[in-house]
Amino acid sequence: MKAFSEHELVQRCRQGDETAFRELVDQYKGLVVALIARSVSNRERAEELSQDVFLKIHKGLPYFRGEAKLSTWIYRIVINVLSQERRDLATISLDETGDDDRPRHEPASEDRSFGDLAIKDRLQKAIERLPVPYQVLVNGHYLKGMRYEDLAEALNMPMGTVKTHLHRAKRRLRQLLETELR
Amino acid sequence: MTEHCDDLEALIEAIADGSHAMSAADAAHVASCARCGTQLELARSIDSLLQMRDVATPSASFTATVMRQIGREQWQTERAIDLGFNLAIAAGLAVIVAGAAGLAWSLGFLNITIDLAALRQALDTEVTGRVLSQVQTLAMSAVLLTMALVLWWWAEAASD
Repeated sequence: MKAFSEHELVQRCRQGDETAFRELVDQYKGLVVALIARSVSNRERAEELSQDVFLKIHKGLPYFRGEAKLSTWIYRIVINVLSQERRDLATISLDETGDDDRPRHEPASEDRSFGDLAIKDRLQKAIERLPVPYQVLVNGHYLKGMRYEDLAEALNMPMGTVKTHLHRAKRRLRQLLETELR
Repeated sequence: MTEHCDDLEALIEAIADGSHAMSAADAAHVASCARCGTQLELARSIDSLLQMRDVATPSASFTATVMRQIGREQWQTERAIDLGFNLAIAAGLAVIVAGAAGLAWSLGFLNITIDLAALRQALDTEVTGRVLSQVQTLAMSAVLLTMALVLWWWAEAASD
């Protein structure tokens, strides 16, 4: 039923039905804004980029063949927009961060005592330094309403490796927090 | 750092988020190794902070702004099509005028205003032969006019 209504919504949008596109925006804006705002801490910029995602969706709909789910296609556009925003982090492959080769740091005792606000801020900075696919994975995984399968498909990851990549991303966060962002 | 620390390092995130159960040996190691204990604690903090992160919501005007931007983009596209159409029409008309002028010149009509005798001469039987000899120019003009009209039709259809 949902697949049909999604297909119908896409068809209506493709026929230039403005109400249908408004419906599509209303349906996905929450996830798109939430996902982007977790990678881009400037709230205004995050909103601009989210709007840009929907402009790209509008332009791309005539070429959307429906082979992937609409949500997967939208997440791919989100990844592209974020990659354009952070070109320095866009092309780093998930397998090339070399996190296992980084020198390990012996944590100091005061690491245990940093406040929640401080660590939240540091965590945000650490996330923003991850390669974009890692960012989307970490941000999307902890976002209610985001389907694991859609995320994996949008990131071109086999379902079986998503968890491995997620753990790798979180290990990278831990390393950033205990070394460069101490 | 021991070999056990290295083995555990690869599992810390999975242990922290509960997707991997810690063995008794690992638990004993974590309890006795300050480094691994701190790392696991940090990994658990990261996991819980990731779960508790704020969820940004779109502004109240989000949809309206998107729709307005789409409207603006469509208007700009239509404007570009209109401009292209107008330029095509102008170019078509210029070619037709030039073609007609060229035809008139080749038929000697451009001398009409200054030479009435030549006009009378042109209107006699010779004119048919001359028109026939310029049929290529006439055909070219007709094609250009048709192309301009087709372009007009296409632009109108695209803007609907």
